[in-house]
Amino acid sequence: MTEDKIKNLLQVADRAAGEPGPTHISAAAIRRHAGHRQLIINIAAPAAIAAILLFASIIVIQAARPHKPSEQKQIVSLQQELKHLQVKTDAVLNLVQQVLEEERKTQRLNDLQATLASIPDPIEETQRQVDKTAFILVYQADRLYRQSNKTDSAVQTYNQVIKLFPQTRWAEVARQRLSEIKNKKTDKTNLEGEQIWKPQSV
Amino acid sequence: MTRTGDDQILVEQFKQGDESAFDKIVKEFSANIAVLANRLLGWPGEVEDVVQDVFLAAFTGLKRFRGDCSLKSWLFTITINKCRSYRYRQMLRLKIFSRAADKDSSLSACAADQRPIDSEIFERVRRAMKTLSPKYREPIVLRYLQELPNEQICRILGLSENALQVRLNRARKHLQEKLKDLIE
Repeated sequence: MTEDKIKNLLQVADRAAGEPGPTHISAAAIRRHAGHRQLIINIAAPAAIAAILLFASIIVIQAARPHKPSEQKQIVSLQQELKHLQVKTDAVLNLVQQVLEEERKTQRLNDLQATLASIPDPIEETQRQVDKTAFILVYQADRLYRQSNKTDSAVQTYNQVIKLFPQTRWAEVARQRLSEIKNKKTDKTNLEGEQIWKPQSV
Repeated sequence: MTRTGDDQILVEQFKQGDESAFDKIVKEFSANIAVLANRLLGWPGEVEDVVQDVFLAAFTGLKRFRGDCSLKSWLFTITINKCRSYRYRQMLRLKIFSRAADKDSSLSACAADQRPIDSEIFERVRRAMKTLSPKYREPIVLRYLQELPNEQICRILGLSENALQVRLNRARKHLQEKLKDLIE
């Protein structure tokens, strides 16, 4: 009896509620929706796996790093500064080496110039030796003529000086002596007097 | 050919790739499913989302349908499961947006006002049904509103005959307490 009353009450309420709103369900929409859902599953599943793997790899990488990001940045900047300093140091060292090399070159050049300056001029030396040889010949000729009275030998030596060293002043002296000898011989024959000839000092 | 025989043919056609068979299934059962969902959910009026979910699940799972029961029973089983999920989601939503729930409730009451039955009686029955847990409400709806035989209800709900009778008795007792003055 109570069951009938309850059933009746429920059915009255159900009729009062009326039919549900019109459903615009179509099989095409269902198929489309199912396709979209499958597509989402096909895309979402690999994407989720990739995201998880990426996240895990990031965590692993972060865990593997011994320093925090800020410290890492500082280290990187310090390393860069160190590299800059190394480059600058290398440049300074190169410059110092170049300066030292220049100084060594300059010193060597000075030494060479000093050595070169210490070497006598060969032309002058030759000229000096020539002059000296001519003097010695004239001196020996004078001694032959005045101390040994070897006039012929003296004349021969004067002639050698004039012949071998014609450009020297001793060649001129030799000519003067030959002239004097010639004059003396002429005067001797004319005056029969004996003149003492004294050689000029050099 | 019987109704069940027609349904089996439709299922076989769908399994063989004839998607027009699914069109016929939707056309044939959408109204019944909408009515059942409306009753199971306490006459909210708008059940399109639930019906769509039911047919979406049917489209996905129809190829696995073995024919152990009628297609209608199978769809009703899906509907019951979808309504449970819908209620669960609604419960969560109501807990979060309690104000919105109050507004929704008042809108339902307004809709009831337009019916010829006394709005107070309708609202009391509705509230009484809502106080029933799904495990008691579902047998009541299938038994007194859908008027299905016990055997089919047992198959749909996966219950034994005794378990169904126990649930029906408890549900009736609960409704009797809530609607005592109306029943007497």
